[in-house]
Amino acid sequence: MARVLDTGNHFAGDVLALAGEANRGARGAICGAYPITPQTEIVEILRDFQFTKGRVVPVESEHSAMAVCIGGSLAGARSFTASSSNGLAYMVENIFAAAYYRLPIVLIGVNRTLGPPWNIWTDQGDTLMLRDAAWLQFYTESHQELVDTILVAFRVAEDRRVLLPALVAEDGFVVSHTQMVVDLPEQEQVDRYLPPCNVPHRLRGKGVTVGGMTFPHETEKHRWEIQQAMERVPEVLAEALDEFEKVFGRRPHGALSAEHTEDAEVILVACNTMARTLRRAVQRRRAEGQKVGMIKAKLFRPFPRKEFLRAIGPAKRVGVLDRNHSPGSGGIFWNEIAATLQGRSDVLLQDYLVGLGGGDVTPELIDEIFDDLAARNQAADPVWKEVPA
Amino acid sequence: MTEMTVHGRGGQGGVTLAKLIASAYFLRNKYVQAFGVYAAERSGAPVQAFIRIDDEEITNHNQVREPDHVIVLDRTLIGPRVVLGLRPDGWLVLNSPDPPEKFAELFPGRNVATVDATGIAVGNGLGTRTVPIVNTTMLGATAKVLGLELADVEGAMRLVGFGGPNVTSARQAFEAVATRKLPGKVERATPRAPAARTASILDEDLGGMPTIRTGNWATRHPARHQLTPPCNDGCPAGNDVRGFVQAVGRKELDEALQIILRTSPLPGVCGRVCPAPCMEACNRREHDEAVNVREIERYVADHARWPAVTKPTRAERIAVVGSGPAGLSAVYHLARLGYRVTLFELGKELGGVLRTGIPSYRLPRDVLDREISFIVRHGVEVRCGQTVDRQRLLDMTHEFAAVFVATGLQESRALKLGQGYSDMVSQGIDFLDRVRRGEENLTGQRVVVIGGGNTAMDAARSARRIGARSVQILYRRTRHEMPAIAEEIDEALEEGIELHELVAPLRMHEDALGPVLTCQRMRLGEPDASGRRSPVPIESEDAQFEVHCDRVILALGQTPDLSVFPEGSDVREGHALLGLTAAPVFAGGDFATNEGTVTAAIGSGRRAALHIHRTLTGEDLFPPAPPEVAGPERITTHVFAHAPRERGVIVPAAMRQNSFTEVRLGLIDEPGHSAAVVEAARCFSCGVCNECDRCLSYCPEGVMRFKGEGNYEFDYDYCKGCGLCATQCPRGVVYMAEL
Repeated sequence: MARVLDTGNHFAGDVLALAGEANRGARGAICGAYPITPQTEIVEILRDFQFTKGRVVPVESEHSAMAVCIGGSLAGARSFTASSSNGLAYMVENIFAAAYYRLPIVLIGVNRTLGPPWNIWTDQGDTLMLRDAAWLQFYTESHQELVDTILVAFRVAEDRRVLLPALVAEDGFVVSHTQMVVDLPEQEQVDRYLPPCNVPHRLRGKGVTVGGMTFPHETEKHRWEIQQAMERVPEVLAEALDEFEKVFGRRPHGALSAEHTEDAEVILVACNTMARTLRRAVQRRRAEGQKVGMIKAKLFRPFPRKEFLRAIGPAKRVGVLDRNHSPGSGGIFWNEIAATLQGRSDVLLQDYLVGLGGGDVTPELIDEIFDDLAARNQAADPVWKEVPA
Repeated sequence: MTEMTVHGRGGQGGVTLAKLIASAYFLRNKYVQAFGVYAAERSGAPVQAFIRIDDEEITNHNQVREPDHVIVLDRTLIGPRVVLGLRPDGWLVLNSPDPPEKFAELFPGRNVATVDATGIAVGNGLGTRTVPIVNTTMLGATAKVLGLELADVEGAMRLVGFGGPNVTSARQAFEAVATRKLPGKVERATPRAPAARTASILDEDLGGMPTIRTGNWATRHPARHQLTPPCNDGCPAGNDVRGFVQAVGRKELDEALQIILRTSPLPGVCGRVCPAPCMEACNRREHDEAVNVREIERYVADHARWPAVTKPTRAERIAVVGSGPAGLSAVYHLARLGYRVTLFELGKELGGVLRTGIPSYRLPRDVLDREISFIVRHGVEVRCGQTVDRQRLLDMTHEFAAVFVATGLQESRALKLGQGYSDMVSQGIDFLDRVRRGEENLTGQRVVVIGGGNTAMDAARSARRIGARSVQILYRRTRHEMPAIAEEIDEALEEGIELHELVAPLRMHEDALGPVLTCQRMRLGEPDASGRRSPVPIESEDAQFEVHCDRVILALGQTPDLSVFPEGSDVREGHALLGLTAAPVFAGGDFATNEGTVTAAIGSGRRAALHIHRTLTGEDLFPPAPPEVAGPERITTHVFAHAPRERGVIVPAAMRQNSFTEVRLGLIDEPGHSAAVVEAARCFSCGVCNECDRCLSYCPEGVMRFKGEGNYEFDYDYCKGCGLCATQCPRGVVYMAEL
């Protein structure tokens, strides 16, 4: 394993290439590639990579990029691509199709604000738009976690008990274009970690119809099967992490990371790089003797309700940092957590909309939120931190 | 944790510099983070990059607000903004050729380091002076300031994949960087004020998008200047050649004539006999052919409405001696300045050499009379048949407030060809005057003309017209060195005149067949004082030959008769004789300058008028020094379509035999086609805006506005300094100025 200084996008491209190459003994690799800021370098790196078996297909749109992945995956190849923001929006029809075909495709979502008005900075609204698309969704906080989670995502998605596509999100620019140091896996390690990709219902050269007409009761069964697969994710993920630790000697976070929550009175929840800035604040306050804790949300689909309820522990105040917004409701993570906490009237749950459209989430801002939450007697509507009064 | 901010411009490699600095510390086993601020900015926009270095894992991802050190890649970004938030004891590393002390006022109390990174980078071939790539150079300087070793710099370069000139530049900067703690107290920089309002997409004004003044992306700005067109520069009369040609192109003939009449009262004359140095200078020659300025001027003189004349308004009386082009020009300009002018002429009619020395097939008498009449109508008193000698001149200085002498060249250069042949040898100027008066007949004679100027051509062609059986011109250099107007030579040859180049006459003698001129063949040697290659006799047996002839006409040039001036006078243009005389006496034209062209004499006469006016009144009406000449390098010729010159109509050679009617008929109007307007439209308008709007059309930002009367305004708030307007300006008016 080599320690390398590079950007999140470079690492994502490198690791997708490692994963694709690891399937050279089976049905190879397929990537439908179409660029969009801030994802572009990922497909550029993949385009330049010479797969022993497989290819990168440059296409004319995100919709076709996913179509290539669907075709590749149906043919049994390890399939992956990357996109952002409006590119994901254009891809949506096939994103649903990939999941409904039960194809273990991995998609890197480089978070970027949906426009208009035009904005290229990070905001989780684009990948959260795919909340109901039947994809696994991982939100990563750092370059290293991005690298590790991409490999974990392949392993979980391709597991016969799951067979669903997986999205791995990284913050646009804050990770995608920032140089940081990572332990980059070797091909040999990835070969050991990822078994050959086996799509059991792949096309085998005889004429079949995939995804043809179904009747209501068959459709309902199709959705129920997906739900069953989602429910098996925690156990498959746990195994994948165990195996990861054996091969790479470190253990990435699982569905979430609960930190200092055992005795915390106030907890903040955050995903992506916000979680790292939050961690600094928590550590500082802990050093000052304050009983604060945090939950880093990582797996959003399936949402880890049981782990979450366990992680809250004795805390009576929970704040959610949402860098996304569901108009007419509030933050999307806050919605999930509110549903998770149903019946827990003892917990004050407050939503904070922060860093929307790529706003800089600073340690000072998190301090303000901790203070705000500690002083609250009851929950209010989601708080907009950046909107001027 | 150490935090740094890099200020640069899009394209200068600031993000890469951040990575290089991070790499140097990464190799020292530090935790590092390097990132840029990305947005819609493109090349040239002010952008920042940030670096964090720590002994423990770096977990915050926000932008650096209070850097420990600041690095500035671009000279034009050095200002109060770069020290916003900079900690008082931090370093400010600047790309600047100036020493740190230079920034004492801007950054008091700061630790400032400077290095001429642009100079070093360009010296090593990294980018160009306009777009230098200085990031690797600045790495060397920053490393030194931060206490890193050269080995760290080289390691970082290797890691990121740089070598060669990048490493050399970094090493040089490492050695060259100058550091200094500046005196004074660090001033707390005020943080940026928050925006007064936040945009909403519901705003009526285009969704209230935020105002981003993209003008700060620019490192240079377009600007405009007017240059001197080469034709104007080349015109000895000082005419605004471009101005009147452009006016004709706009079909404003009267305006064109007004422009010419500001400087010359003889457009019909110049439009026929000027050697047209303006056309020699014309930038259009680089493209296809020079604009036919001479014919355009003639067209204006012959077709425009001549304006009303002004009458004298001043009391001072001024005498002008000589009514050649210099005298006429001086008279005209003095009269226009309001002086009462008396014009003295030796001959019976005005015009001097214009009348006596230029045959009417080149300059018809009615044209000359028209323009002389125009001049005289300005209230000028004319006295013909006046001999002015030294005493008369001195007398005049008592009667007049000033005297201008422009008596031209009276003495013809002679050539000794042997005794006893004076009857058959004449001077060209005298010959032409006799032809004019009908006193010459050369029917059946063999004529030899010696010389290569316009008088030689005129004499040869006149001889042909009055019946000469053969006319041969002998010239000791080649056609290339001949001072005659090229078209005159062509027309002479068309009329059957033979030209013998590299031939000099030696002597006359007589044989059984009559008079014989012995000639010497020549070759071209070294250039002489005039810059022309001088003729050298060929020394061989057959280098001499004989030409039978009945008449020899000498056209070897003329010299002035200076005896009219007091002994020891320094006869120079613009030099008043004072003290010796009662009133200032000026000299001009060929008499003083010997420039030898009508146009030069017109210019000399005008300057004399301005000198006299300045001497008498103290008022300086001389035009200010003209700006730089717009040479061909300033002209974007590809913008212009190739178009052949309108040559005008010329009477065929066969019809010119025995006729003194005008040979060239000028540019002719036909229905739907005015040759003069078409020809004038070929003018590039070098160095002077003619509102072609090309700059405006090509501006990709729409930041140019036409303000009328040749004025355009740039909106520097939004001009990114791309330079398209300057590269597209066909005439060198728009240029890019460094900030």
